[in-house]
Amino acid sequence: MRGLFSNGMRTRALALAMVLAVWFVAAFGRLVHLQILKHGRLKAEVLEQSQDDMEVLPKRGTIYDRNGKILARSLPASSVFFSPLKSESASAQMEQVVRLKDRLGLSEKDLSRIRTRLQKKDTFIWIKRKIDPEAAGRVMGLNIKGIFLQDENKRAYPLGTLAAHVLGGVGIDDNGLAGVELQYDRLLEGEKGRRLILRDARRRSYQFETLKEAVPGKDLYLTIDETVQYIAETELEKAIAACGADWGTVIISDPKTGEVLAIANRPVYDPNDYPPAVPGEGVNRAIQHTFEPGSTFKIVTAAAARELGKVGLGETYDCREGSISVGGSPVRDHKLQGILSFPEVFIESSNVGAIKIAQEIGERNLFQMIKAFRFGERTGIDLPGEEYGICRPLSSWRKSSLRIAIGYEISVTAVQLLGAMNVFAARGRLIRPSISLGTGVGGLSGPVNQEPLKVLSEGTASELAEIFKRVVEEGTGLPAKLEGFEIAGKTGTAQKLDEELGRYSSARHLASFVGFVPADDPVISMIIVLDEPKGLMQYGGQVAAPVFRDISARVLRYLRAAPKPKAETLVTAKMAKASRP
Amino acid sequence: MVNRKTSPKEIALGAAFLLLLLVIVTFYILYQAEAIQLGYRVAGLEDRVTKLKEEIKKLETKKATLLSLRRVERIAREDLGLTDPKPGQVLYEGVDIPREKEGP
Repeated sequence: MRGLFSNGMRTRALALAMVLAVWFVAAFGRLVHLQILKHGRLKAEVLEQSQDDMEVLPKRGTIYDRNGKILARSLPASSVFFSPLKSESASAQMEQVVRLKDRLGLSEKDLSRIRTRLQKKDTFIWIKRKIDPEAAGRVMGLNIKGIFLQDENKRAYPLGTLAAHVLGGVGIDDNGLAGVELQYDRLLEGEKGRRLILRDARRRSYQFETLKEAVPGKDLYLTIDETVQYIAETELEKAIAACGADWGTVIISDPKTGEVLAIANRPVYDPNDYPPAVPGEGVNRAIQHTFEPGSTFKIVTAAAARELGKVGLGETYDCREGSISVGGSPVRDHKLQGILSFPEVFIESSNVGAIKIAQEIGERNLFQMIKAFRFGERTGIDLPGEEYGICRPLSSWRKSSLRIAIGYEISVTAVQLLGAMNVFAARGRLIRPSISLGTGVGGLSGPVNQEPLKVLSEGTASELAEIFKRVVEEGTGLPAKLEGFEIAGKTGTAQKLDEELGRYSSARHLASFVGFVPADDPVISMIIVLDEPKGLMQYGGQVAAPVFRDISARVLRYLRAAPKPKAETLVTAKMAKASRP
Repeated sequence: MVNRKTSPKEIALGAAFLLLLLVIVTFYILYQAEAIQLGYRVAGLEDRVTKLKEEIKKLETKKATLLSLRRVERIAREDLGLTDPKPGQVLYEGVDIPREKEGP
């Protein structure tokens, strides 16, 4: 009996020992498997679950106007992405996405894109980029498997279309694509950072560790003044509505510093929805469109005549015929003129007179003055895509090229023409136009404007400014006249080349006016260009000069530039002398 | 092999050691738990600060939209019936501007 018991015990003990041995070997083997063979992968999985190495997107810098008003700023937004479960079929995955269709406003195009990506077995698919964080929260409330959020920034332009062409726009990844957003992209964008987030078993973060600090983009202050910009845009809108022009542009600057206070263009787009739906809307016509300027270019002819001493102020020109042949084709005046003095040629904007003056100056001298004004070159304004314009070298001038004296056979941008007029306002100095004040608070650490070039003597500039003053007082620019202020300006009406007919059209014009105010101590200079005004009034003096007047009136009031009192209406109250006690 | 009887002093010393170890472990666990709790709070507060800063920026941007001159002018003209000042209605500080017909 005892033997049997002993045998049974021994057998059971042996069995138990064997079970334990097997368990031990299995456990040991499993440990070897986990700790040695699969160590790397498992450790990575644990790290993945317990910590996240996240890219920290830098905040793009804010763009302010010269007075610190916000023009562009990046705000937090959420992007919804889909990371589908591998075990599910593409159609089952698509069903999950379709549940978001209405909530996220997904189009058929969006769904088609997502379907294609799912069929390709992509593991990361954007569903909708940059939606409002609250809307994103509601999406997450649906608890759809595989749907996640990514924090991003969205560029916001709180003033909508205001200064759209100056600001430009950004792409879906917040990279600058146009305007100052592109010009100063590296400055605005900052540098990405990295952050380690430690999480517990429930994926709650309990510790952050910054691996690399994200460097936010720098803020940028522009020379643009929100109010001046608004005035320019509203008046341009009114003008285009009144005259039916195809497009128009206005630039307002401080002629003493070259700082641009406003650039307005119509048509316009909303930078919040960049890129514009209609490609032409994105063109900044102030700097990216070239045109034959017509009579506004006579300011350069006048400068050449007087600076080189080729023509005296008292010289006269017989313009009674109303026409003159240049290279075999006639150049006509817009109305019959008589015998005009040098100033009157410009006051009355006589083409015949200007051609006769140009003949006296000579082609070489005229060309040298045109180059001194830097036509055919970029002005250097800090905006991308500036056009050079077309100024043929003297060697390729034709017999008809003397028409350049009246603003034909040359292509310029509006900003070039304004820069040329600024020479007279700045007493002979050509100053580079600028759009940025810099990055410091109040824009104090801005780019240093390069040394102005001396184009004319102070005497010539002042003398011609007086003539341009008379253009508005008594000449073609009369509609620009503003009570209480003296304006120096020049009108321009250029016939447009009809490419089908191969000659200049008598029905299609480009109207312009360029000037500065007050003439003696300029506060602002401005150019207005209106393309193809319709109706009876198509001349620069008729459609562009009044815009100059209306904008000047509002801007000067805003800038607190007081009108000059009229001497004849000035009434002084006399106090009766009180007898001292 | 001789079995040595453990003295009460040695038992007490061992117990004290175990107790000390227990206290240290307990303290360590409590300290860790508290540190993690504080970590949660700090993370939560940092998150809140970030969100509030973002909210401020959002509100500033909204304010800029509400104060846009286009909107202000529309309200001024359409809702409040304001018009542009007529000549002579604007007074410039420190500048003598003639007014219409002043007394002799």
